Amino acid sequence: MLTANAAGHRGYELWDPMPDDVREGARRFASVQALNELVGVLQYVEWLDRAPGHTRRQMLMAKIQDEVGHGHAVARVAEDLGVPRERIFLDYLEGHTKLHNIFHFSFQTWEELGAGLLLTNSAAICQFQSLAKGVYLPYARALRKVEREESFHYQHALDLTHEVMTHGDAVQRRRVQDAFEVWLTRILIYLGPPDTDTLHTNRMWQVGMKPDSNDAVRQKWLNKIIPVFRKLGVHVDPELVRQAPSGEWEYAMPDWAEVKKLIANGGPSSQKRLDWVRNALDRNAKYRRAMQGVA
Amino acid sequence: MPHIPTDTDVYEVFAQHGSSTPLNHVGSIVSPRRDTAWHLAKETYGRRDDLVTLWVVRRDDMIVPSAEDRGLLAAKTRMPHRQPGFPTARRRDRAAAAETAGSASQVRDSAPAAHRDEAPGAGEAGLADLWLALADDLFVLGNRLGERICDYIDVEEALAVGSIGQEALAHAGTILTLRGFDQPAVDAWFFDRAQEQWQVSRVIERITDWPSTVACGLVVAAAVTVLAEQTAQVETDAAQLSAIAAVREEQLVHLDHWRRWARALSDWPETRAEFTRAYAEVTELAGDVFGARPQGGPAGALPGDPAPAATLHERLAALVGGGPGSQLPEHPLPRTAGLGGSALAHSLAQGRVVRDAYAPGVFS
Repeated sequence: MLTANAAGHRGYELWDPMPDDVREGARRFASVQALNELVGVLQYVEWLDRAPGHTRRQMLMAKIQDEVGHGHAVARVAEDLGVPRERIFLDYLEGHTKLHNIFHFSFQTWEELGAGLLLTNSAAICQFQSLAKGVYLPYARALRKVEREESFHYQHALDLTHEVMTHGDAVQRRRVQDAFEVWLTRILIYLGPPDTDTLHTNRMWQVGMKPDSNDAVRQKWLNKIIPVFRKLGVHVDPELVRQAPSGEWEYAMPDWAEVKKLIANGGPSSQKRLDWVRNALDRNAKYRRAMQGVA
Repeated sequence: MPHIPTDTDVYEVFAQHGSSTPLNHVGSIVSPRRDTAWHLAKETYGRRDDLVTLWVVRRDDMIVPSAEDRGLLAAKTRMPHRQPGFPTARRRDRAAAAETAGSASQVRDSAPAAHRDEAPGAGEAGLADLWLALADDLFVLGNRLGERICDYIDVEEALAVGSIGQEALAHAGTILTLRGFDQPAVDAWFFDRAQEQWQVSRVIERITDWPSTVACGLVVAAAVTVLAEQTAQVETDAAQLSAIAAVREEQLVHLDHWRRWARALSDWPETRAEFTRAYAEVTELAGDVFGARPQGGPAGALPGDPAPAATLHERLAALVGGGPGSQLPEHPLPRTAGLGGSALAHSLAQGRVVRDAYAPGVFS
C-alpha cells in the first residue's frame, strides 16, 4: 500500500513493494546507525564511574541506556530488512563497516565531555530530523523515537556545560573552550563532505531516503548551536567559523584524506573500541545462547 | 505480573487512518475461526474511512498488564531524571536552595550526614540499620549493572539491565531519604565516605562475570523484598509505607528477571557448571545480608524496631535457597565494615576524580 508523503515521494512500510534502492538504502542507513549507536556509547561509558554525584550518575546512566536503546530501535529496522543483529557487529570487526569519525576518540576531561556531548547531540538532532522525512517509514518512526530521547541528552549536556562554566575555575572553563574548538571541527566532518552541487545526482536523494544535503544540515546545526555556546560564555573564533552577511555560515573544511585514515580505525581509541566489542561478544556468547536456548 | 488473557475467540482490532498517524486500537470482534477474523474486522471497523492498514490480533496471543502493574508503567513518576525538563528544573531548584541557605557548603554542613562521624551505635540493629546497609549494596550493584549496559549480552537485555541499575541507585537514594538525608547528604554518603565506613555485604565482592552478577542481583533483590515486607508489617503509617511499597514492587520485577536468568543459565548445558559454582559462592557469602551493625543517627521515617535477623534470614532462604547448589549458611552472620575489595576501592576513587576538582557542594 503506497502513500504520498510531503517530499513528493511515496512512503513505504516493510511489506510494501518498493524500489531496490530504498530497501538497500534503508538497510544500510539503519545498520550503520545501529553500529555507531551501540559502539559510540563506549565513549560515554568511560565516564560513568566518574560522574560526581548520585543524580548526575543516574542521568548519565539513563543517557547511556538511551544510546543503546537507539541502537536497538534501528537494529530492529535493519533486522526486518534481513540484517541479523550479529552481522552489525561482525561487519565492524571484519572491517566491512566503520565508525563515524567522532567515535574514534575518547574524552580526556569531564569538561570536554559536556561540551563534546552538547555539540554531538545537537548535530545528531538536526541530522535525525532531516532523515526522519525519508520515505522508509519504519526507519522514520525509529528516528522520531530517538529524537525525543536526544532532547533529554541535549538538555543534560547543556546542564553539564553550564555547571562547569558557572562553578569551574579558569582552567576548567578553558577546557570547555578547547573542547568546543576541537569538537566543532569533528562535528563538521561528522555531518559529511560538501555535497550541495552533487546532491541531485545522489541516488539516496533521488529515491527520497536523504531529504537534505550535508551542507544544509550543517547550516541548520550551526544556526542552532553557535548562539548556545556564545550564551554559555564560549568565544567563537571567526577563524574557525563565522557568519557571512547573507546569514550563511563559513568554516574551514578538513583534509578528507586524513579523515579517511582516522575512520579506517586509525584514531587514538579505534583499537580500544574494536577490542571491547570483540571481548564482550566472545565473553557473553554462551550466556546469550543460554537465554535463547530455553526461551 | 503481566498476564495472558484466555478468551480464545476474541480478536482485538487496530486500524491506521493515515500514514503519518499511529495505529490505534478501535475495538474487538468475536470470530469462531482464525481465517475469518480479518474480514469480519474489516466489515465491522472499516466501513467508512479509508484505512492505511488494519491489524487483527487474537486476544489469547497478547500479553497485557494486570491492574497492579500500573505503577510500573508510570515512567515519569518513577524515573524523573530521564525527562528532558529534569536537568533545567534541577538546576533552578538547586540555585534557589543555595540562595536560601546562603551557600552550598552550609547546606552540606546542616545535613544529617554528620552522623557518619559519630561512633557506631551500640546494641541491637533495628530495621532502619538493615536498610542503611542494604543501600550500600544497592548503590554498588546499581553501578556495576550500569557497566553491563554495554556488554552486549543482547540489546534488549542491555536495556533491562540499564533500568534495573538505575532503579537500584534510586532505591539506595530512597532509603537514605527515608532516614532523613537531604540530597547533599545522600551524595556525601555515597561519594565522600572512606571505604572503612561502608558496610557492603560480602556478596558485593563476588560480582565479576555475568553468572555472578545474576546470582548477586537475585540475592539483593530477594533481601530488599524480604525487608520491605517486614517493614510493612511493623510500620503503621501508610504514608511512610508508599515509598517502601514502590521499592518492593520494582525489586519483585528484578527478582523475577534474575530468576529467569538463573533458570536459563542452570538449564543450559554450556553454562550449567559455571552458574552452579557462581551461585554456590554468592549464596555462601550471603549470610551477612541481614547482619548490619548499627551506624547511629536517627531512624528517620524507617522503623527502628529490632530486626528479627533469624526470621528475615529464613525468608531469604525460602527465596534463594532453592537455587542450584545454594550454600546459604543456616544462620545469619554479622556484616563487617570496610569490605568490597579492590573493586569498591577503585569505584570510590573514580567517583572522587571530578568531585574533588571542584569546590565542596558544587555537585550535591
